[in-house]
Amino acid sequence: MWKDRVIGGEIISEYLMEARKLTKEFEVSVGMFKSRAKIRAVDEVSFGIKEGEQIALVGESGCGKSTLGRLLLGLIKPSSGQILYKGRNIWRLSRKEFEEFRRNAQIIPQNPYDALNPTKKLSAALIPQILRHKIAKGRSEARKMALDLLEMVGLSPPEDFIDRYPSRLSGGQMQRVVIARAISVKPQFIVADEAVSMLDASLRVEILDMMHKIGEELKTTFLLITHDLGVARYFAKNGKIAIMYLGDIVEIGETEEIIRNPLHPYTKALLAAIPVPDPKIARERKSIPLKSIDVPSLLKPISGCKFHTRCPYAIEDCEKIKPELRLVGNRWVACHLT
Amino acid sequence: MRWIVKRIITLLTTFYIAITLTFFLIRLMPGNPIDVMINQYMQQGMSMEQARIMVSSLYQIDFSKPVWEQYIEYLQLIIRGNLGVSYIYTGVPVARIISYALPWTVFLLSISITLSFVLGIILGMFAAYRRNTKADHTITLFSTITNAIPNYVLALIFLFFFACVWKIFPMRGTRDPRIPPGFTLEFISNVFHHATLPILSFLITTVGSWILQMRGATISVLGEDYIKVAEARGLKGKRIMFSYVGRNAIIPLFTRLAIAIGYMFSGSVLIENIFTYTGIGYYLTYSVTARDYPLMQGCFLITTLAIILSNFIADLLYGFLDPRVRIER
Amino acid sequence: MVQVKEILTKALKKLVYDPLKIILKSRRGTFGLIIVLFFTLMATVGPLIVRYDPSTVNLSEALQPPSLKHPLGTDWFGRDILAMLIIGSQDVLFVSFVTALITTSVATFIGILSGYMGGKVDSALVAVTDIVLTIPGFPLLIVIASVLRTSNPILLAAILSITAWAPLSRAIRSQTLSLREREFVEMAKCLGMPSIHIIFSEILPNIMPYIIINGIFAFTGAIYAQVGLFMLGLAPYKSQNWGVMLNLAVNYAGAVFSIRQASLLAPAICIILLQVGLVFLSGSLEEVFNPRLRSG
Repeated sequence: MWKDRVIGGEIISEYLMEARKLTKEFEVSVGMFKSRAKIRAVDEVSFGIKEGEQIALVGESGCGKSTLGRLLLGLIKPSSGQILYKGRNIWRLSRKEFEEFRRNAQIIPQNPYDALNPTKKLSAALIPQILRHKIAKGRSEARKMALDLLEMVGLSPPEDFIDRYPSRLSGGQMQRVVIARAISVKPQFIVADEAVSMLDASLRVEILDMMHKIGEELKTTFLLITHDLGVARYFAKNGKIAIMYLGDIVEIGETEEIIRNPLHPYTKALLAAIPVPDPKIARERKSIPLKSIDVPSLLKPISGCKFHTRCPYAIEDCEKIKPELRLVGNRWVACHLT
Repeated sequence: MRWIVKRIITLLTTFYIAITLTFFLIRLMPGNPIDVMINQYMQQGMSMEQARIMVSSLYQIDFSKPVWEQYIEYLQLIIRGNLGVSYIYTGVPVARIISYALPWTVFLLSISITLSFVLGIILGMFAAYRRNTKADHTITLFSTITNAIPNYVLALIFLFFFACVWKIFPMRGTRDPRIPPGFTLEFISNVFHHATLPILSFLITTVGSWILQMRGATISVLGEDYIKVAEARGLKGKRIMFSYVGRNAIIPLFTRLAIAIGYMFSGSVLIENIFTYTGIGYYLTYSVTARDYPLMQGCFLITTLAIILSNFIADLLYGFLDPRVRIER
Repeated sequence: MVQVKEILTKALKKLVYDPLKIILKSRRGTFGLIIVLFFTLMATVGPLIVRYDPSTVNLSEALQPPSLKHPLGTDWFGRDILAMLIIGSQDVLFVSFVTALITTSVATFIGILSGYMGGKVDSALVAVTDIVLTIPGFPLLIVIASVLRTSNPILLAAILSITAWAPLSRAIRSQTLSLREREFVEMAKCLGMPSIHIIFSEILPNIMPYIIINGIFAFTGAIYAQVGLFMLGLAPYKSQNWGVMLNLAVNYAGAVFSIRQASLLAPAICIILLQVGLVFLSGSLEEVFNPRLRSG
């Protein structure tokens, strides 16, 4: 879908991270005879993230958004398709280049209680990778950097924290340490996988603000994975939102535009579910009558547009032909009806 | 279906490896039995050639041939169910000795395992329902202690008190040879009289592990949401206890049954020896002390086969009882 | 110097005082610890203070009842039963300890390698483990011991470990598999840490408690197999061993049983006490490692 600019035989991408026809299948075994079946968690997804962009990937649980995030980070291998980092396929990089990519692409996992080794002090969560990537010259400098990182994520005085065990931190404090851990190697790109879903509502805003601030200060590109459109909107207020449904990206665009005027019926349905403070927009928006509230199983492949089983506007084509992402105005939408 | 085929292939491979292992242990290890036996015959005044022919006739394998040809011959014999001829019981095929011995072991183990499993499940569930009461603490303590006692030590103590000192049970054997075998009350009660101490030794040392496992499984199932829902729906205590809790707690225990059977075969070697109970385990040690290697090989292979088969059955059972969807890695 | 002392006291507190406090809180833990310490002393210091040589036969003193001279009496050959018990404990504990060490090391190595590497290495190791699991352990032990007939304690320990590692290895593999999915491991991987770091710093510390507790179970299993082997008379008679004492008791059964009970009951009770003590200790250690299990 993206026009490739070929200059002197090399593909030049205008994106920091790009996915091209990215597909991931998992094998599952079913029933007493353990018969095999394949599930497509990510289905030929193509999209790009520009440097410095803050983008939120939104979808219901099980739609493949976490898998997509891990594919982009090179943590799992795709079944087919490519992931480009600065225009180069990450699975074709030399060992040294891959290590460089590895340092530049980090994850903030969703469960802060699980993202720190319970048997190790915080220093062990921060220092080894600084030394490994030679960001500091020696142990004492690395420790100094670790202290600065803790200070940066709002844990001060950092000397009080660095020799603590994770069990002596609160959930919010743990998530701060996890963020410090992710930025400790100065990455260009961070995937935050449901990074605030386990936290109390009061803490969420704080953590989101902090990530936003870090993104701007360190010029880090952020991809926030979330099931909560409200969180997505808050985090990516100057950025973009991508909507995912059963392994497909169905709509991508500027955050405010998507919120104001969703084009894909699935986006409309998601939006209808969140309350809006602005009565003007609230009045304009109507809830859409879904045919079914259940997400269909992926064990049987769905033909055409995957949303047709629930979409109230589905026409014949929707059952047969899979819609591609098309540019509509300023936005990419995969729907036959737009 | 692919899964069952895979299981059968594993089963055959395991048995094949056990067969090969026995061959190489007996034939190729330093000081291996074949050389020892040939030497023994030579010391009795035979020539090297005669001795080798004698030993070859016991195993029904020609030991003058190269090793790999011996191996092929050996495999062919096993496939035909021919395990050679015993050295001590001159001229008696090993397969026949095993056919006499195996039923006793199966009799002993099946009764012990069934009693232990059933009793363990009942007491384990009881303890779980009464958890943190005095009854629970007593049962748990009893289980922990009996589970730690080696079965043969308990067997020795039983032998000493019940057979030697108080003479309530016979000291040795599977039955009184003076009573003719048959479906008579006298014979059957005599057989059980002889089997009581071996069964008790097994039962007491294994029931504790089932009790503890069942207690743990029941407690964790009791914490599940669907049990709370069932209670909230107003279902009767007994119905919840059996059709909800019991079923879900027992399923994981079934898989451990196979491992337990393996351990009990190991234990039966010791128990059968103490009570001179002429099953497979008894003949295994007897053949080792008497250096009757064809018999030893036969006993070992049949034990392995029994364990492999019980594992296979347990695997099938588990697939049948727990048909959930799993992600393959 | 001051710093070294500080680190040492801290380590001592963490590794000795704190666990001890938890163990001694429960009656079972206290009992287990006392039993295990008692037998350790018996095996290490005991042989130094034994007055009788348990291997010399003195038929004129055969089958004596307990007395001040012979606290547990003598056996058929006039040997002091207490002396035999003490000398025998040395062998039992040493061989079982080495066996437990070999078993847990092999199981940990194979289990972690298999679980962490995945793919073909994993499939191959799982296949080997499954096969070893199905081969009847004790019968195989008998076959091997009968062919090798060794009296070398280290070799005996190696033989005893041949099949014992498999169940633990399987358990450690599944622990490793689930740890590999934990987020702190994923993060470490994403941060570019090498496998060595992930195995030794992230995975191993988290299964260490499990390994230690199972090491104790390997110890009890080794006692079972070793004493059983000696009781059947299938390991060479060179050494003094509780199993050898049991074997004599069985062989001289009937005729002598009613006269001298100590020669059977003394080793039997020692074995039971040691096994129960070890199980209690391991249960109590589980509370040390898993604070949620602690009562009160």
